Amino acid sequence: MPMEVLLIEDSLGDVRLTQEAFRDANTYIHLHVATNGVAAMAFLRREGVHSQAPRPDFIVLDLNLPKMDGREVLAHINEDYDLKTIPTIILTTSEAEADILKSYQLQANCYLNKPVRLDAFETIVKSINHFWMTMAKLPTQAISE
Amino acid sequence: MRSNRIKMKARRSPPAAAIRDLSMPDATEKHLAQMESKYHGLLEAAPDAMVVVNQGGDIVLLNLQAEKQFGYRRDELLGQKVTNIIPEGFAERLIADDLRSAEDALAQQIGSGIELIGRRKDGGEFPIELMLSPLESAEGILVTAAIRDISARKTDEKHLAQMESKYRGLLEAAPDAMVVVNQSGDIVLLNLQAEKQFGYRRDELLGQKVTNIIPVGFAERLIADDLRSAEDASAQQIETGIELIGRRKDGDEFPIEIMLSPLESAEGTLVTAAIRNISVRKAAEMHLAQMQGKYRGLLEAAPDAMVVVSQGGDIVLLNLQAEKQFGYRRDELLGQKVTNIIPVGFAERLIADDLRSTEDALAQQIGTGIELTGLRKDGGEFPIEIMLSPLESAEGTLVTAAIRNISVRKAAEMHLAQMEGRYRGLLEAAPDAMVVVNQSGEIVLLNVQAEKQFGYRRDELLGQQVTNIIPVGFAERLIADDLRSAEDASAQQIGAGIELIACRKDGSEFPIELMLSPLRNSEGILVTAAIRDISVRKKAAVVLLQKVEELNRSNEELGQFAYLASHDLQEPLRMVASYTQLLSRRYKGKLDADADEFIAFAVDGASRMQRLIHDLLAYSRVGTKGKDLIETSSEDALQQALVNLRGAIEESGALVTHDPLPAVLADEMQLIQLFQNLIGNAIKYQSPGVPRVHISAARASGKKWNFSVKDNGLGIDPQYFERIFGMFQRLHKRDEFAGTGIGLAICKKIVERHGGRIWVESQPGEGSTFRFALAGR
Repeated sequence: MPMEVLLIEDSLGDVRLTQEAFRDANTYIHLHVATNGVAAMAFLRREGVHSQAPRPDFIVLDLNLPKMDGREVLAHINEDYDLKTIPTIILTTSEAEADILKSYQLQANCYLNKPVRLDAFETIVKSINHFWMTMAKLPTQAISE
Repeated sequence: MRSNRIKMKARRSPPAAAIRDLSMPDATEKHLAQMESKYHGLLEAAPDAMVVVNQGGDIVLLNLQAEKQFGYRRDELLGQKVTNIIPEGFAERLIADDLRSAEDALAQQIGSGIELIGRRKDGGEFPIELMLSPLESAEGILVTAAIRDISARKTDEKHLAQMESKYRGLLEAAPDAMVVVNQSGDIVLLNLQAEKQFGYRRDELLGQKVTNIIPVGFAERLIADDLRSAEDASAQQIETGIELIGRRKDGDEFPIEIMLSPLESAEGTLVTAAIRNISVRKAAEMHLAQMQGKYRGLLEAAPDAMVVVSQGGDIVLLNLQAEKQFGYRRDELLGQKVTNIIPVGFAERLIADDLRSTEDALAQQIGTGIELTGLRKDGGEFPIEIMLSPLESAEGTLVTAAIRNISVRKAAEMHLAQMEGRYRGLLEAAPDAMVVVNQSGEIVLLNVQAEKQFGYRRDELLGQQVTNIIPVGFAERLIADDLRSAEDASAQQIGAGIELIACRKDGSEFPIELMLSPLRNSEGILVTAAIRDISVRKKAAVVLLQKVEELNRSNEELGQFAYLASHDLQEPLRMVASYTQLLSRRYKGKLDADADEFIAFAVDGASRMQRLIHDLLAYSRVGTKGKDLIETSSEDALQQALVNLRGAIEESGALVTHDPLPAVLADEMQLIQLFQNLIGNAIKYQSPGVPRVHISAARASGKKWNFSVKDNGLGIDPQYFERIFGMFQRLHKRDEFAGTGIGLAICKKIVERHGGRIWVESQPGEGSTFRFALAGR
């Protein structure tokens, strides 16, 4: 069964890298991409063009996004009774303690820094996949469905 | 006698013829004749003139003494009227005495007889005392008269009466109480003073026992004085009299001095007592004795030598201190001239001081005394200060001299004068402005530098308040400094002085540094102030501070910049590096050989750039992300570093050892990084064989620790010792050893941030020892 993953990332370069890395790790991932916070929320709420969007199995979220940044998106997800059960993984270049703390306070499931080197980057993506796809148990049913 | 009788008979026919009365028997006549002859004998032998007178007043018998007394021959008086020799009074007596009985008459003695006047043949009269006694005879009653010439006695009596009246006058006028006492101890006479002294009226004392007023001692004196002759007694004066106690009428007792002298009188020897109330004198004596006692005590106890000198210049009294000071025994000085110990100046002073009143003399204190020279027994001289005061005594005005040995003081004064001279010299020569201030805050001394600094002439500042040139802060310092001991004060140096603001004559202000030290002299405690104009220093300090601030700011900016730059550069670099690697991965061998090569260079370049950026970031983080230095276990930091280097250690088989390491003030993360870099280097730049690294620490001066990281690696040529700590400095080619060359620069930055320094000791081929110093607790 394919896994639905929402990647909220504005850097196209990083999007492609992530895609390649996920593809190498697990061919059964459907990677959905939102390049800004607004689009991300629309997708999650199945608004407008996203009315038929699937519910992601987990979210990979960058913090520095245009229009609505990742911190806000995280907050919204956390506020949403339905959305907050979706595991959200922060993947960002920010090393700021404040960001780390805030993210966990907003119930991010984990906080990761984007490694500088390619191989390290690929390792992290593979680790995410390995942990969240094959090890961690995810809720099978959404509450509202 | 028979012949006389017959003779008598021949002249007259007196009734005395009864003697020849023949009617009498013979025996009686014989007895009578015997009586007559005995009687005649007595008559002749009597010492007094005896005259027998008949009732008719004729002298019928007289004796030799009568002849002599009156200057007649017997036959010239016999048969004459007695009135020839006693003109008046006799006849009357006769009658008077006739009325007395014979016994009464016989009982009457001489001295209680009748005083009359006798007349001599030559007409001269003289006082007589008569004693009559009847005599029965045949011729009737005859009267025997014993007649005593009392001229002498009368003269005496008259003299005595004169004396008595004169005496009475003296008595009354006497200032002392005078009391005349008879031998029975009765008061027979007293004067007005006696009445007053004893509080009695005259009549209350007359006839009373003298013991009423002088209970004890008088009677004894009477006896004692009686044994002395009149001359001795009269030679005795008051004040060498006898001291007794007198008692007043009201019972009060008071001390008296009596002087006795005998007084002959008709009533016998009387004693005149002059009685002087000596209560006042006694009180004065007691007081004087007390004073003398107290004075003597004071004299002995006095710390100074005390010498009492008479007006003749003789030493009459001295104390122990005087003995010591002058080296004499007391007896060697008593009675000697004071010039023996104070050769010059004392006598003059005596005169000078005598001219001053007692108050003036008493007002003079030591310290304003007269300076003279004292002479010891051994001939040695020494400077003295004397203070004189007069002393009244029984012996006249004496002078008490307090003598203080001022050798020490004089030496000190001389020394002080020398010091002052020297000090003045130093003062003038001093490079700083020097100002000496007294306790009232007045400037008493200043040097030429002070004149220049403040723009005043010397005379414009002397006597002025120091607040004129240093408005605020000086006075407070004075007080503060007074509380510190002289040693503390003198230990303070310039540079540790007080900063204040000084004011020039033109009103301009300038910053100064003050250094104070106390100065003792005869005027009390003065404060010497060394005043240094620190305007230049202050400006320099301000400039320095500014520059430091600028530098800090600049550094911070730079650090920020470096960080931001590195950080922001990382992103695009990540893209380049990642995609060139992807390219390389996916298309290696799928394009042509050139493409492979190009891609390889691109990948390589990007990688290097990433490492450089990474290291730069690490370097800049030492400053920007550095944490406060706190007590840190350097051993724990080392352990963590070894954990981080686990891979490299295992791979190289390196042996890492260490000694116990101390706690230091450090940023733990950075300390770990420091160890990690140094040990990493030690392993990386290894020589063949097992790399060995040893870490130790040794105490250094202050609270510092010198750490050592010693390896047995390649070693470093001394010419590069400085360079290796520079940024991106490498001593090897890129392909020889990995690394950007930032490791040691980071170490240096970390160590310097911790306030220490880092250096290396090494020789090529002999390993290296990197040392760095950190502050411990």
